[in-house]
Amino acid sequence: SAAAGPERPQVVSHVQQALSYTVFDCKWVPRSARLLCLGSAARGTGLIQLYELHGARLELLREIEKPKPIKCGTFGATSLQQRYLATGDFDGNLNIWNLEAPEIPVYSVKGHKEIINSIDGVGGLGIGEGAPEIVTGSRDGTVKVWDPRQNDTPVANMEPVQGESKRDCWTVAFGNAYNQEERVVCAGYDNGDIKLFDLKTMSLRWETNIKNGVCSVEFDRKDINMNKLVATSLEGKFHVFDMRTQHPAKGFASVSEKAQKSTIWQVRHLPQNRDVFMTSGGSGSLHLWKYEYPAQRSKKDSEGSEMGVAGSVSLLQNVTLSTQPISSLDWSPDKKGLCVCGAFDQTVRVLIVTKLNKI
Amino acid sequence: MPVWLREHSWRQTLTAVYLSLPLRGARATPANIFCSEQYLKVSIPPFLFEAILYAPVDDTNSTAKIGNGNIFFTLYKKEPAMWDSLTLANAGKEKLQHLRENAVLKAQEKAKEETEAKKITKQEHKKYALEATMKLEEAERKRIEDLKEKERQKVAKDLELWKNRQKDADKYKSVQKKGELHQEIEPLKERKNEKMNKTRIPNEGTSKIRLKSTKGCHGSCSIFSQNLKEEQLPAPRAAATIKVDFTPRVFPTALRESRVAEEEEWLHKQAEARRRINSDLSELEDLKEEEKNPDWLKDKGNKMFAMGNYLGAVNAYNLAVRLNNKLPVLYLNRAACHLKLRNLHKAIEDSSKALELLTPPVPDNENARVKAHVRRGTAFCQLELYTEGLQDYEAALKIDPKNKNIEKDAEKIRHLIQGTMQSS
Repeated sequence: SAAAGPERPQVVSHVQQALSYTVFDCKWVPRSARLLCLGSAARGTGLIQLYELHGARLELLREIEKPKPIKCGTFGATSLQQRYLATGDFDGNLNIWNLEAPEIPVYSVKGHKEIINSIDGVGGLGIGEGAPEIVTGSRDGTVKVWDPRQNDTPVANMEPVQGESKRDCWTVAFGNAYNQEERVVCAGYDNGDIKLFDLKTMSLRWETNIKNGVCSVEFDRKDINMNKLVATSLEGKFHVFDMRTQHPAKGFASVSEKAQKSTIWQVRHLPQNRDVFMTSGGSGSLHLWKYEYPAQRSKKDSEGSEMGVAGSVSLLQNVTLSTQPISSLDWSPDKKGLCVCGAFDQTVRVLIVTKLNKI
Repeated sequence: MPVWLREHSWRQTLTAVYLSLPLRGARATPANIFCSEQYLKVSIPPFLFEAILYAPVDDTNSTAKIGNGNIFFTLYKKEPAMWDSLTLANAGKEKLQHLRENAVLKAQEKAKEETEAKKITKQEHKKYALEATMKLEEAERKRIEDLKEKERQKVAKDLELWKNRQKDADKYKSVQKKGELHQEIEPLKERKNEKMNKTRIPNEGTSKIRLKSTKGCHGSCSIFSQNLKEEQLPAPRAAATIKVDFTPRVFPTALRESRVAEEEEWLHKQAEARRRINSDLSELEDLKEEEKNPDWLKDKGNKMFAMGNYLGAVNAYNLAVRLNNKLPVLYLNRAACHLKLRNLHKAIEDSSKALELLTPPVPDNENARVKAHVRRGTAFCQLELYTEGLQDYEAALKIDPKNKNIEKDAEKIRHLIQGTMQSS
């Protein structure tokens, strides 16, 4: 439970809502006090529920049922006017929905042969520049990038070499989208591989292996020159990579931390402060971390090439909310410290993290 | 022999006796004085003073003062009466003894009682201390809870305010936008027909945090700029594929599920087995170089088995075993040969040896273990030891549940067993 240090951020539980289905992802609707829960109903169909925060409770505004259970969703590639939701489901379908008229998707493609485990969007919400794009990572081992203006075929496809046994892709994230041309996709796989694909040159820019299956990757900001990348894995470990300096042989410098005995399901950076992030664990706990940069972010090695220097991570706060894993986590982009998390105990919780201004 | 101290002086009142005992240079400590109800002793080796008192005294309240080479006793009488003398005159030896013993016993009892009493008070003190600590902790906890609660309420209020501001801003903007749109919609429609129809009443704020400041101009400006932005968006990327390969894993299980220790052991054993050469055989000198290599011999044996030359295969395997008796595959294959040659006991022996070497059981040596069980099972059945055979088949099935052949054979054996049971 929370420590009593008066200046440390506190995680205050604001609302708790029991759901009658398994929730896999939860997301704030940008520019509102509304949130979405995505999941799988007991009878094997997909559910999207739209809630609004009313005082100390959540009011269900709308419930949308779809034929296949939904695993993940993002608002990342949509404009602020439209606020369309892109979802990946258990059958490998990528759909984009207008929540005001959800009967027919605005965009639909059977992108993958197996479940889409993770989805991310970039280029929308008035953030950054460049085309809106969506990336999906699937159990079929492929990572595909889609442009909502192009039907049926992805604009980039990262697939296993012919004959290579595939590994499940568990997580994907966009980054480095600081101008119209630059963009990277980072993908994490179940065998511990992390691969960084450069979409401008259509090549593999970097890869590494962190020994344990990678559950979640996220850049601290999608729309800047890539700065930091956090990758979480099974066995309670996470790694923070300094992405500013790539050494030709050693890649990116990193610091790793073993936080909990169980899997770290998600990492999410605070939209208002890119050095603060929260990890959620299989033991039902949330940990709030702060990254501190080293005095010098890069140094020269014996041959004169630049290599990065990783900083350090300190734990600001931790709290245990549930006995089941907290599998999804989202910060509100509009209100600092407001976040929503969904756990496998079929509960969605709205939390407020206080004193983030003082960090 | 103790030196008796006899020069003492005493006086008395109705209630007390005052006894003065010079010590003749000896130093006294409280430990040297022993007093009970009717017996007084001072023992400072070699000096000894002993007195059977005339009447009982209250030994708890009586005192002894040590000082000036003297012990000054103040004994309070149990019954106020004048004593004829300090000590009992006619104290016989037995009486003396008796009194002494009593005295000692009484003293012991008193000591015990005192320790008991001390214990009880100690416990009570402990309890009190514990309760006090608990109270303090409780108070501290409550204080923290209160702090948290206050925080919570503050934060909830804050959130409500923010939400309301949001709503108001939205409403205001939507009213504004409606007005603007009506004005602007004509020229826009010509240019961007479809897009306008699609667009809902915009709900965006130009700045992320300052929702209060919204001007009508901003609204319409942003519609324009949004459209402009759409013009400026780059075309969809040219489709391309990037091929990836994956870091291989020897054991494709998550670290916590892998039985790393056992798997390591198995790998180690295999590596060891390969390196072994039983080099102490004198006949080896006659052999060609390649015939000293167990792997080459194994391959030779396999080839002969495939051609039906079972005896030759056995010979090859025998030699290989002599060179390296830790390779399970040699025993496995030799067992197969013996089965063909109907050397059933030898087949069983070899399969067992193979299974022995195939520990620890890991996914890597699954196939080998299945084969060993099946071969041994077959041998048992051919010896008409059906129950043992069935055991082996079931073991094989456990390792490889999907194998239909094993299942069929297991069924057959079960029927055979049932058949023999019925007839016997």
